[in-house]
Amino acid sequence: MLRIKAIINSIRARLHYDELAREVETELRFHIEMRTRANIEKGMSPDEAQLAARQRFGDFVDIKSSCCEIRRSFPFNTSLLRMGLHIAMAALAGAAALWTVNTPHHNLPSLLFLLGLIAVLTYSFFVARQEQKPHRQ
Amino acid sequence: MAKSKLGLLQGTLDMLILKALSLGALHGYGIGQRIAQISGDELKIEEGSLYPGLYRLEQRGWVQSEWDISDNNQRAKFYKLTRAGRKQLILEEQNWERLAGATMKALRAS
Repeated sequence: MLRIKAIINSIRARLHYDELAREVETELRFHIEMRTRANIEKGMSPDEAQLAARQRFGDFVDIKSSCCEIRRSFPFNTSLLRMGLHIAMAALAGAAALWTVNTPHHNLPSLLFLLGLIAVLTYSFFVARQEQKPHRQ
Repeated sequence: MAKSKLGLLQGTLDMLILKALSLGALHGYGIGQRIAQISGDELKIEEGSLYPGLYRLEQRGWVQSEWDISDNNQRAKFYKLTRAGRKQLILEEQNWERLAGATMKALRAS
């Protein structure tokens, strides 16, 4: 059940990246604010307190980016799935191309449909490859 | 002479987060505070590193989170341990004890 929830969260994070980034930022800023308050209570000036809180927190942008990446990732190894999808897309595009070349087409719509299908499959193949590169903001 | 704080061994942060949450639901800042408290303030943790750890644990289904209102009336994300997380903590504690025991044995060997 938790596994399914994690998969749903990953899909949601992929679809609504800006919302996820805002949520992570709110969470991290809350932490820095709490640390700043604690530093002020220890006797630091507000500026000193905030600076110390930020230093103790570490690289904000990097941490935010890591959190977003983790949330977007699926809770299982996707490399085999990706490989299968790539092969399937390439095979389908190839089959559609062969069909287009070897079958006599008497009407334009069916020819356009096949050409469109090849274009969509090729585009999907490159988009899927692009997805493998880390998403940074 | 002032004692320097101990750096964390790789992989121990997850276990410490699980341990901190085994005592009740907390937000990220609270988890850092609780780790400091239960370790007698001996461990040096870069506070921001808690968050990727928390997100990883949530992804594995060992913790779950929800937004709520904190003691100072601010919106904060609270984490709590799941049943799978509790089991994982027991497993990690056992592994840690075995590892620490074996390391001590090796260090004491003459």
